[in-house]
Amino acid sequence: MRVYFLDKLKIIEEVEPASLDLESQWIAQAQQGDQKAFYALYEKYYRRIYALCWRMMADKDSAEDACQEVFVQLWQKISNFAGESKFSTWLHSVATHIVLNHIRKNKSWLQRIFSIEEQVLEDTLVEMPDTGHYLDSKIQQLPERARLVFVLFAIEGYRHEEIANMLDMAVGTSKAQYHRARNLLQASLSE
Amino acid sequence: MSKETRIPKQPAVMLEDEIAQLAKEILPARDLWPGIEKAINEQVPEAKTQNTGRVFMPTAWAASIVAAVLLTWLAISPNSAQLNSADNIATVMQQDFQQQKHRMLVSFGMPDIKQLPVAMQTELIKLNSAQKTISQALVEDPNNSDLLNLLRWTQQQELELLTQLYSPQWQSI
Repeated sequence: MRVYFLDKLKIIEEVEPASLDLESQWIAQAQQGDQKAFYALYEKYYRRIYALCWRMMADKDSAEDACQEVFVQLWQKISNFAGESKFSTWLHSVATHIVLNHIRKNKSWLQRIFSIEEQVLEDTLVEMPDTGHYLDSKIQQLPERARLVFVLFAIEGYRHEEIANMLDMAVGTSKAQYHRARNLLQASLSE
Repeated sequence: MSKETRIPKQPAVMLEDEIAQLAKEILPARDLWPGIEKAINEQVPEAKTQNTGRVFMPTAWAASIVAAVLLTWLAISPNSAQLNSADNIATVMQQDFQQQKHRMLVSFGMPDIKQLPVAMQTELIKLNSAQKTISQALVEDPNNSDLLNLLRWTQQQELELLTQLYSPQWQSI
């Protein structure tokens, strides 16, 4: 397979999905400062990373900002990737931490004290990207902690122990929030 | 009786089906690459510990000034009735801050602060000292919005300092 970079790094021809060998090549080149190779990695992963950001943040603009931050930090830190895990796994882990930090940074101390985020966003008009999926709209309306746990567990495949560590909560709390999210979603789907 | 004909797990099954059908990829509404490209082209190479000392010198100065002003304020302020600190908002803020800081340090793998360069340790000590001084002042005047804002500011400075000092480490997984 060959990939042609023309017109300011735009990939105009990609015959088939990039093989792992080609991805390894892109990673190695990006680690050497090759921006074209980095763009190829961006092209391959940005939609997946944006999906993660958007589902966790429930806000289109914040998700776009976070997604950009993920790739800017990826450019800075890609030399740290030693190939001990799959690149996609590593990237998702990096992205998850960045999104969580983004959420924490943007929350006022008043919100943290009074848990404003725990309100269900039933009446909030959520600006939806065109996923064409009803469940996505319902995930966006979950209370924040329930939403984060649900996305990380049910969609991203993290274990409750990992989620509890990331969100600084007990494992039991993570499980409880997950079941809370499930109950709310099931109720929504049954309406 | 007719209710028994319902399949009890139907909503759960329905949810599992919906989850399985969720799109793995979502296309953002705008092109994100130009912003990323601009940011990475404007970046200077990282020089982690050496540069962070210079970056945070203003923080140290500011923390020192905050502490000095508050010590003066404490010296000249009239003694008001002692309040139960457990009930005031400053205590809640400090508890919230400590939880957030702990959560952050956990996400960074609980790094040993003593391994930091002395200049960085000094920065953290000054911020911590400023927080203690402000908290002490807030015991006397628990609803003083200026003091509450100062406390919040020093807490944010400490969290930002920790983020910048340690955030590269968790990305090296």
